[in-house]
Amino acid sequence: MSMLEITDITKDYGASRALHPVSLSVDEGEFVTILGPSGCGKSSLLRIVMGISQQSGGEIRLAGKRIDMLPPERRDIAMVFQSYALFPHMTVEQNLRFGLRMKNVAKAEQQRRIAHAMEICTLTGLSSRMPRQLSGGQQQRVALARAIVMQPNLLLFDEPLSNLDAKLRDTLRHELVALHRRIGATSLYVTHDQAEAMAMSDRIVVMNAGRVIEVGTPLELYRSPRQAFTAGFLGQTNLLAVTASGRKAHLPWGQLVDLAEDAAGPGQVSVRPESIGIRACDRGGRDTGSCAPATVAGVSFMGASALYTVAIGDTLLKVSQAGGDALIEPGRTVALSFPDRLPLLEDRAPDREAA
Amino acid sequence: MTALSDHAPALRQARSLRFTSDDRLPVAISLYASLFLAIALPLGLMFLWSIADGWRPPNLLPQAYTAARWADVLADDGLLRAAINSVVIAIVVTFATAIIALPTAWAMARFPFRLKRVVEVFILAPIIIPGIVVAVGIGQIFLALGLAYSVAGVILVQIVGTLPLMIRLMTAALETIPDDLIHAARSLGAGTPGIVRHIVLPLAVPGLLAGGLMSFVGSFEEFDKSFIVGAPVVETLPIKLYMYLDPYSMQLPLASIVSFLLLLPALIVFVIAGRVLRDDLMAAGMGKI
Ligand SMILES: Nc1ncnc2c1ncn2[C@@H]1O[C@H](COP(=O)(O)OP(=O)(O)O)[C@@H](O)[C@H]1O
Ligand SMILES: [Mg+2]
Repeated sequence: MSMLEITDITKDYGASRALHPVSLSVDEGEFVTILGPSGCGKSSLLRIVMGISQQSGGEIRLAGKRIDMLPPERRDIAMVFQSYALFPHMTVEQNLRFGLRMKNVAKAEQQRRIAHAMEICTLTGLSSRMPRQLSGGQQQRVALARAIVMQPNLLLFDEPLSNLDAKLRDTLRHELVALHRRIGATSLYVTHDQAEAMAMSDRIVVMNAGRVIEVGTPLELYRSPRQAFTAGFLGQTNLLAVTASGRKAHLPWGQLVDLAEDAAGPGQVSVRPESIGIRACDRGGRDTGSCAPATVAGVSFMGASALYTVAIGDTLLKVSQAGGDALIEPGRTVALSFPDRLPLLEDRAPDREAA
Repeated sequence: MTALSDHAPALRQARSLRFTSDDRLPVAISLYASLFLAIALPLGLMFLWSIADGWRPPNLLPQAYTAARWADVLADDGLLRAAINSVVIAIVVTFATAIIALPTAWAMARFPFRLKRVVEVFILAPIIIPGIVVAVGIGQIFLALGLAYSVAGVILVQIVGTLPLMIRLMTAALETIPDDLIHAARSLGAGTPGIVRHIVLPLAVPGLLAGGLMSFVGSFEEFDKSFIVGAPVVETLPIKLYMYLDPYSMQLPLASIVSFLLLLPALIVFVIAGRVLRDDLMAAGMGKI
C-alpha cells in the first residue's frame, strides 16, 4: 500500500516555475530517494510535503488521508534538515524531548522513546551536551534521533549527509538505511549524490529542472535507463547517436550493434564504459578489420580499473577495464566489443551529437 | 640590544598580525590604562569635588573635606520619592518597550520586504532627533489628550525614546535565528505560540537583555521629555536632581553629586547583569548596537 502519494504538485516562485506537475509515491516501509542536480526542485518538493512551504497546485495523501491543507504540526511527518536545525539553546535530550512535549506525550512514554532513540542512534552518554559541543556526525545523529522519537508515518531527509566529510558520509549512509529498516520507517530522501542514492535506496526518483524524469530501482536505472538524463546522471556513460533499422543499428562510425527491440530511424543509446570490451590489437595487424579505426587517446589508472579514452572516427569513447595484466599505452589500436540488446533511449539525440 | 633589533624584522614576519601570548602584558596594560583614564579618573575627580570643602588651583587635592552637601541632598525626602518614581517608571517603560518591540523586530528580521532600510531609518529617527524636539511636539498632543502631567504620559513619551534601540537590538538578535530552526520546531508539532515561547524568546535573550538594560538606563536618566510632559507634577530623579543645579553659577560640587546619583542605577544594573549573565551572552547582545 502506498504510504505517501504525491499527485501533480506544482510550485511557482513568482513568475518562475520550480516544480512542473510532479507525481510520485512511496510505499510503506520503502526508502525512496529523489535524485537530481542542484536547483532542480528537490528541496522545494520536500518542504511542500512537510508543509513548511505552500504548493501552487496538486494534492498529497499520507496513509490515504489528504494532508496538503494541514499545517506541518498536524501532518505526522518528521524531517531531518541539511543544516540539522538543532535548537542551540537546548541540550541533546531537550532537543529530543521538544517534539514529544509539543505533542503532549506522557512523561513515561517520553522517557522510553528518548532512551530508545539515543541508543539506536549511538548517542548514549551525550544527553546533557549542547549541540555546539558535538561533532558534525554526532549532530547529524541527534537530528535523526529527534525525528524518529516522533514515530512519524513518514521521515523526510534533505541532503542530511552533505555537510560531512567523505569517510563519515560513507559510514552514515549504511547506518541510516539499517536504522530505517530496523524501525520500519517509511522514508523520502533527497540527495544530489548519485552514489549515495544508489547505495541507499529501494527506488530512485530522478528529477531535473522541476520534473520527474524517471523512476526505478537503482539497478534498473543504472543498467537500463530509458532517459538520456538518467544514463548521464547515474554514473558515467557514452551517449551515442545511432540509426536504427529493425533489430540493428549503426553506431556513428558505422559499426553494427544489436538492439533490444525493433526500431527505425535516428535514436540514441547509452553504453556504460565497463560494458565495452577492449583488447589491444596485434602489432602485426592480423585483425585489421575490426581494429583499424579505434586508437587509445588517453588512459587513467583508477586502482580497481583503468579508464581509457578511445578515439574512433569523430567520437571519443570512455571505456573502463577491470583487471588486465598491463595498461594499453596511448597510440595503440584496439578492438572494441559492444554488448548485445542495447535499449534505445526515449529522447532524441542532442544536436551536438547529431551534427 | 643590537642582537634584539637584528631579530625584530624576522620575528614580526613570523607572527603576522595575530596576538600571541607575548602580547598579553602590553595589551592588558594599555587596556587598563585607557579604562582608568576614561572611567576611573573622571569618577574619582567627581567624587573629590563632591566632598571638597574648598579646592582652588594650584592645589592637586582639596584643602578640606565635608560630607555636608551629600547629607543635605540625601536628607531631602523628595529625593527618595523621585527615585522610587523613576524606578517604577523605568521598569514599566522597559517591559512595555520590549513587548512593543518584539513583533516589530520579528517582522524586520523575518520578512525581506523592500524598503526595509528605509523603515529602519524611520525607526531609528527618534535617536537622531533631540528629545526636546520630540517632547515639545508630543507635549501639545498629550495636553489635548489629557496625558500631560501624568505618569502614563511620562511613560509613553519615554517609550518613544527607548523603542528604537530596543527594536534595533532585537532585530539583530532575531536575524541570527535560521529559518530552518523555525521550520524544524513547526515540523515537531509546535504552533506559533510554542515557537515564540520555546525557540524565539530564548534565542532572543541576548538582544532582549541588552535592549532591556539600555531601556532601563535610558528611562532612568531621561530628562528633557519627562520634564516637558511630567514636570512639575510628576517628578523623576533626573528632574529632581537637575533642580539642585543653579543655572546662574556652575557649582561643581553639587553637579558631581547629581552625576553620581544618576550614574548609580546604571552601575547597579550593569553589575547585576554582569553577575547574572554569561559574558558571551551579554557581548552577543551589546555587539549589535
Ligand atoms: N524561496 C524561493 N524563492 C524563489 N525561488 C526559489 C526559492 N526557493 C527555491 N527557489 C528556486 O527554485 C528552484 C528549486 O530550488 P530547490 O528546491 O532549492 O532546489 P534543490 O533543492 O533541488 O537544489 C531553484 O531554481 C531555486 O532558485
Ligand atoms: Mg536543496
